[in-house]
Amino acid sequence: MKQTKKIKAPLLTKITRSNLEEQVRQQTDELKIRSGQLKQGVDRERLGADREKLAEEKFRQQTDELKIRSGQLKQGVDRERLGADREKQGADREKLGADREKLAEEQIHIRTKAMEFTLDGIFIIDAKKPNFPIIYANPSFHSLTGYTKNEVIGKNYFNLYGSNTDLRVVEEIKQSMRQEKSFHGEMLNFRKNGKKFWSSLRIAPVRDTNGAVTHYVGIQTDTTLMKQRNLEIEEQREDLLHVTRVGKLAEFVSSLAHEISQPLTAILSYAQAAQRMFAGREPQLQEILQYIINDDQRATEVIRRLRLLLKKSKPTFEPLDINVLINETVMLIMTHITVRKKVIKFELDSKLPFIHCDRIQLQQVLLNLISNSLEAMDESSDSCELLIRTLRKDTDTIMVEVKDSGCGIPAENMKKLFAHFFTSKIDGLGMGLSISRSIVEAHGGRLEAKNNPDRGATFYFTIPVNRKNAPTDL
Amino acid sequence: MLSEKKKIYIVDDDESVCRALKTLLMTFDFEVKTFNSAKSFFDAVPNDEPGCLVLDIHMPGLDGWATQKKIIDSGSKRSVIFISAEKQDNAADRALKVGAVGFLQKPVDGQTLVDLINVASKNTNDTIVHLKK
Repeated sequence: MKQTKKIKAPLLTKITRSNLEEQVRQQTDELKIRSGQLKQGVDRERLGADREKLAEEKFRQQTDELKIRSGQLKQGVDRERLGADREKQGADREKLGADREKLAEEQIHIRTKAMEFTLDGIFIIDAKKPNFPIIYANPSFHSLTGYTKNEVIGKNYFNLYGSNTDLRVVEEIKQSMRQEKSFHGEMLNFRKNGKKFWSSLRIAPVRDTNGAVTHYVGIQTDTTLMKQRNLEIEEQREDLLHVTRVGKLAEFVSSLAHEISQPLTAILSYAQAAQRMFAGREPQLQEILQYIINDDQRATEVIRRLRLLLKKSKPTFEPLDINVLINETVMLIMTHITVRKKVIKFELDSKLPFIHCDRIQLQQVLLNLISNSLEAMDESSDSCELLIRTLRKDTDTIMVEVKDSGCGIPAENMKKLFAHFFTSKIDGLGMGLSISRSIVEAHGGRLEAKNNPDRGATFYFTIPVNRKNAPTDL
Repeated sequence: MLSEKKKIYIVDDDESVCRALKTLLMTFDFEVKTFNSAKSFFDAVPNDEPGCLVLDIHMPGLDGWATQKKIIDSGSKRSVIFISAEKQDNAADRALKVGAVGFLQKPVDGQTLVDLINVASKNTNDTIVHLKK
C-alpha cells in the first residue's frame, strides 16, 4: 500500500486546481482496484466482513492522506465523508484497535528478543544528551567488548574504546555523528581486558518524524577470524611472490652466466692457443696473454660465486592433490581476477591420483600461467573467461590446462615462447615461461602452448603420476 | 703425417666457441672439425669414422644428452666429452653414467681438455682391445 502511495504521489503535482477533486477520486478508485479488495460498482454497505472493512478503512486513510498531501482539498469535504464512514465502522474500529495493540505488543516483544539473541553487538546512543550516553546494549555487545551492563549504560560511547584504538577511525565516527550521517568501517578494537579484536562497525542515525536525530544505533561484528584468514592469504601471496622474485633473479643470473661464459670460453681458448703458438718466443706477448687468461679466470670466478649465491633451493617433493593446489593458488589471486572483471571457471577431474611435486614451485607455474592468461585478456573487455581444467591424460600422466579467451599467440612468437629473455610484454623480463617450463620438466612433465581454434590460447602441462622423485640432474 | 693426427669433432651452437676451441686444439696438433648442431655433425660424419667428440650440452634441437644417446643407440663407440656453460651440479656424474669420458665446465682450460681427449683415445683403444679378446 505504501508503495502505491509513493508511486502515485508525484502524479498529483500535475493535476490542475479545477479538476483536482475528481482526480483524487480516480486515484482512490485506482488504489482500490489495485489492491484487489474492492471492485467498482460494489456497494460499500454490503461489505460485512471485518477484513474488508479494515481494508476499506485503510483506503479511506490512504485517500485522505493523498488529499492532505496535495494540500488542495478543503477539509470540509473530507470531514463530511469521513464522518459518514466512521459512523458505519465505529464498532469495528474498537475491535481493530484492540487487535492492533496486541499485534504491536507482540511485534515489540519479538524485536526486543531478536536484539537480545543476535550474535552482532547492538547498542543505542541517546543523541539528545550532550555526552552521547549509551542507553541500550544487547548481550552480544557485552560479550564482545567485555564490559558489563553497568559499565556501559549511561557512559559515553567513545570512552569504551581502548586507548590504543586507531584515533583516526574514532575521529571519523565522531565526524559522521556531528554531520548526522551514518558510519561504516572496520577497526581494531580492544576488549576490557585489553585483548585485540577486529570489528566491523555500522552506526546509523535514528530520526523522529520531523527528521531530527534522536538516537544512534550501532551494530558491531567481530571480524577477527575473517581478518586473520585474509592476512594468512596475504602472507601466502607475499611468500609466493618472494619465491617467484628470487626464482626469477636466480634464473636471470643463471641465464646471464651462461651467456657470458660462452665468450669467456672463446677468449680463454684463443689466449691459450696464442700462448702455445708463440711458446718460447715474444716474452712481452706471452705476458699479455697470461693477463688475458688471468682476467678471464677472474670473471669466471665472479660468475661462479654469483651462481652459488643464488643457488635455487632444492625442491621438496610431497604427494599433493593438484585440484586442491589449483584452488589454493586461485584464491591467492582472486582479488586480482575480480578487479579485472574476469571470470574463472573450473573443470576439475575429482578422481585424479596424487602427484609428487614441490608445492611452491608448482604454484609458481600455475600463477605464471594464470596471470599470463589474464594479461592476454586485458586488451578486450569482451574476452573475460579463464578456464582451468584437470584431466587424466593416460594412466601414468595427469594434465592441467589453462585456457583463456584472449589475444592468442602470434605464429612468429610460438617457437620463442619458452626461451630465456623472450617477452612480448613491455615490462616483461622474459623469465616466467622459461622458469615454468624448467619447473615442469624437473617434475618429469612437459609444458606446451597452443592457440585455441576459436580465440585465445591454452597452456597445458603434464605431470607423471607414479613418480616418487624427479631426476635431480634435470 | 696428416692421417696420423687424432681427429676431434666439436659440436657447439656458439660459433665463436667452436672457432676458438678449434684454434686451441689445432695448436695441440689435432685435426679439428666443428659443427653448430648435432644434426649437421651426424649428416657429415659417419658412425664408424674415428674421432673424439667434444659436445656442448645446451643446444637447440638435439641437445648434448640426446646426441650422446643417439650415438650409443647407433652402436658407435665414439668417445664423448661434454662441455657446458650452464652450471650443473651433477653433470660430471651423469656424463660418466651415460658412457661419456667426462664433463668440463666452460670456460674450458686447454690443457685439461687435451688431457681428457688423451684419456678418451686411450679408453677407446682399451675398449677395442677388450672387445677383441
